[in-house]
Amino acid sequence: MTESAIVLPVDEAAEPPRRRRARITPVAAISLVWIALVAIACAIGPSLLHISAYTTDVAHAYDAPSAVHALGTDGLGRDELARLLEGGRITLSVGIIAALVAMVIGTVYGAISGYYGGWLDTLLMRIVDVLLSIPTLFLLLFLAAMFHGNLLALMLVIGATSWLGPSRLVRGDVLTLKERLFVEAARSIGAGDRRIIFRHVVPNAIGTIITTTTFMVASAMLAETALSFLGIGVRAPTPSWGNLLSGAQSDIFAGAWWLILPPGFAILFSVCAFNFIGDWMREREERSVVGM
Amino acid sequence: MTNFILRRLVLAVPTLIGVTIITFVLLHLAPGGPALALAGEKATPAQIATVTHELGLDKPWPEQYVTWLGALLHGDLGFSYIRQQPVIALIGQRLPQTMLLMGCALLVSVLLAVPLGVYQAYRRNTAFDRTASVFVFMAWSMPTFWFGTILIAVFAVTLRWFPVGGLQTIDTTAFDLPSRIAHLVLPAATLAIVSMAGWSRYIRGSMVEQLREDYARTAIAKGLPQQRVLFRHTLRNALIPFITLLGGTVPALFGGAVITEQIFAYPGMGQLFWQSATDRDYSTLLGMTVITAVLVVLGNLLADVLYGVVDPRVRYD
Repeated sequence: MTESAIVLPVDEAAEPPRRRRARITPVAAISLVWIALVAIACAIGPSLLHISAYTTDVAHAYDAPSAVHALGTDGLGRDELARLLEGGRITLSVGIIAALVAMVIGTVYGAISGYYGGWLDTLLMRIVDVLLSIPTLFLLLFLAAMFHGNLLALMLVIGATSWLGPSRLVRGDVLTLKERLFVEAARSIGAGDRRIIFRHVVPNAIGTIITTTTFMVASAMLAETALSFLGIGVRAPTPSWGNLLSGAQSDIFAGAWWLILPPGFAILFSVCAFNFIGDWMREREERSVVGM
Repeated sequence: MTNFILRRLVLAVPTLIGVTIITFVLLHLAPGGPALALAGEKATPAQIATVTHELGLDKPWPEQYVTWLGALLHGDLGFSYIRQQPVIALIGQRLPQTMLLMGCALLVSVLLAVPLGVYQAYRRNTAFDRTASVFVFMAWSMPTFWFGTILIAVFAVTLRWFPVGGLQTIDTTAFDLPSRIAHLVLPAATLAIVSMAGWSRYIRGSMVEQLREDYARTAIAKGLPQQRVLFRHTLRNALIPFITLLGGTVPALFGGAVITEQIFAYPGMGQLFWQSATDRDYSTLLGMTVITAVLVVLGNLLADVLYGVVDPRVRYD
């Protein structure tokens, strides 16, 4: 990411006036609104609905959408809307918490590697290379099978397998940041390495960190759906968008479109929204660096 | 050139050793462990102890690791007790299928991504570019298995153009080329979609960047036709970093293959990995991870060599 941006030499003493920032694009604005709506609906929806996501009613299995069940019912007669909202809570939390875990690990790792440089940097980055030569899904599959059924473990496992890319990006930023004047200034007044890294260098890489986190939320949500499809994601009867969608695979022949389309589009639009926002933020970052 | 390749191969050795250590430790951290899985859920402690002793699982980890690594260097990837076959034979049956699938997917995504990215860069910031970008993002954000299911529902169930899954029609055991190709179309399309999205985005970005360069402006200013500038000048430069990207895509393809092969019941490495993970078939998991890592390293090496072929500025000494 930073590789494609041309960093112009900037005289530290005469910091140029604030660059014109890219305005929010319509696509990014729509994405923000969509995520806000989904988050609010999933947060307060289940308590407004008066129908539990877990109550089965076999007499009303595969009911098409009606006034009672706005999105119909599934094969066990459970209300699809209630399950969709409840599942949204799970999938969004998995996405966000896993992304935060990945970013904390990636930032600390990348910052230490970039700041200290030398043999430590070589060693740490070789370890990243090694881990990158194992397909992420292999690691994910293995770890998720080991801790299957535990929601917190699922978040940690997804986070623990997605910090490699972020650590490289943060390291790249730190490599340039550590040469800046303010780092030397901090050192000259006697600040220790830990203070310089976490109080001075990392806060200046916050743009990269936030942008990457946004993309990570999107990919963590996709990881949740992939693991649920493989049968080692969120364990039934707890709904998640991933297992609602993978559960609906068999309902495709029952013609129950209301079980397939809503979770599919919920995932597609939400993941897409996070990616659009991430992309807009990245463009903003690059423009502020190049100064276009 | 030969020197460069040899040096890179030597540098790959620590990476591969690292992969084996990480996999080995991970596998032995698993609860239950291989002995329990082998002896069966109802085994008595005595039976488990016997199995453990026979397999050498009671020896310390480093000793087990060294024994295993020594065998590996002789081309012995171990024996799968669950499948009653040597791991190398299991992989041998599956790897060609997966390589074929990955190759087709790679071809499809490059053939779609490059023209789309170039055209988007050519028509940048127009309605076409914006619309295409939105669709590319959608493709990027789609759960793979959902896309695969949609393909099955439309092209296999409704239109009946392609088979639902498998390697080839089961009524014959003989090799049947047309049937094999028909069975490859939907899985390859599914596996291609995600990388296609990322790459067309990448090509568009680097084409736009190249078109801003002085040499591109000069070429346009001296009156060269647009197509010539696009394909002769800027695309060549945009493709150089893209080659590195292609080389690094092997792990993602293997990951995608796990899901794709599961949807289409395609008997490849991905399916074997998933089955081994659910059966706790540790020797197979370990062997597959090593083989995959070797292929990843080779993919990167190939990309580096091609990089030099495409870019005459790169020297190998």
